[in-house]
Amino acid sequence: MSKVNHHPDSAMLVDFSAGNLNTAPSICVSAHLHFCAKCRSELLRLDQVGSKLMSEAEPIEVGDLLLDSVMAKIDQLPESAEDIVPSTSEMSDVHYPLLVNKLITASESTPTWRRMSASVDVAQFTTGQKEYEVALHKICSGGKTPRHDHGGREFTVVLKGSFSDEQAVYNEGDFLQREAGDVHQPMGAQNGECICLSALAAPIKLSNPFGFLMKPWLRINPM
Amino acid sequence: MLDRMIEIVDQKEEQAKKTAMFSTEKRSDQWSMLLVSVAETRDRRAFTQLFNHFAPLLKSFAQASRHEGWFPGLSEDLVQEVMIKVWQKSASYNPEKASATTWIYTVARNCRIDMLRRKSNTQHLPLDNEDFWHEADEDTPVTLMRQKRSEDKVQTSLAKLPKEQDEILRKVYLEGKSHAEASNELGLPLGTVKSRVRLALQKMQILVAPEFRDDVL
Repeated sequence: MSKVNHHPDSAMLVDFSAGNLNTAPSICVSAHLHFCAKCRSELLRLDQVGSKLMSEAEPIEVGDLLLDSVMAKIDQLPESAEDIVPSTSEMSDVHYPLLVNKLITASESTPTWRRMSASVDVAQFTTGQKEYEVALHKICSGGKTPRHDHGGREFTVVLKGSFSDEQAVYNEGDFLQREAGDVHQPMGAQNGECICLSALAAPIKLSNPFGFLMKPWLRINPM
Repeated sequence: MLDRMIEIVDQKEEQAKKTAMFSTEKRSDQWSMLLVSVAETRDRRAFTQLFNHFAPLLKSFAQASRHEGWFPGLSEDLVQEVMIKVWQKSASYNPEKASATTWIYTVARNCRIDMLRRKSNTQHLPLDNEDFWHEADEDTPVTLMRQKRSEDKVQTSLAKLPKEQDEILRKVYLEGKSHAEASNELGLPLGTVKSRVRLALQKMQILVAPEFRDDVL
């Protein structure tokens, strides 16, 4: 596995560790963790902070019946859960993070590739939330995407292959964050297709009839 | 029959010796040992002891939450859900990797997210919350030893943090505020909140060599 060079910033890992990160960015952080041992070990240490803070809190007595109620519930549990055999699809890949494969094969989402431009295909996921569009992008070998800017913040994780833009080459596991207004022109590597997971913040829809007046000063920031 | 049993005991002893040789850093605190006996022998007395210690801490953790949609009435539901998960999932607890307290914290955090997701509109997400934390780490003796050392380091340095750093960590971990929300609440620029958290993490030696990071403050 190639070396991962681009990581989520530490604030994002902290929010992830504390359980405060929205679903879609969490999907991207989790996908990055699959490839990145360094962030995994940082996360384990961040969890120790949460654990320490929890264990030093002032204990609050629980109701007398709570233990009995928990005991009664565990009596009713099946002793071992059945192993669910994961289904596969042409889009899934053993090298992908488990949660990406799960999104690919889930009956609720079953995404399919659609052509977005001559060199880019996209497959959108259903993730039960509206703040971000979560999708896979496939850039064909050597494919050039049109120069574009972003309507909102975008997180990207390279799942397979590599691509580059004006600033750097991004390999498997690399995590990128782009802000609204950032302009770039990604290019697929020459030696094979590149598949990325991305979460793009949905554009703000203004319900206020005078909303258009606010628009120039609005910066999308759903986090 | 007896021979067979002796053989099993011997094998276990052998295994225990091996484990002791390769991991001198195995957790031996009371709670971790109790959690292991819950996993191995479904020991209800051990579980009750864990419950008596952790349930009041979990309730306190639950009541600290300031998440949107959260209210104090949910606290005991969370305690109950966490303790049931502890019983169910105890087999996946690895005392070499984390203390029982850290492991139970992660269960509690995940249960809290699950309850919030169930209450919010995030339905039809074809993922379980645990899928987000599925990616296991390499359990080599070296990494395990580092984790154990780090646990001690976090413990001692957390107590010595300046008030303004401690305050933000509590907001983030206990109240469930994101950095952005904490900055709004404290009336501080986001950059200041981030750098306070970062300073705290550096003191606790949580971040791996900063030169790997491409984010700059």
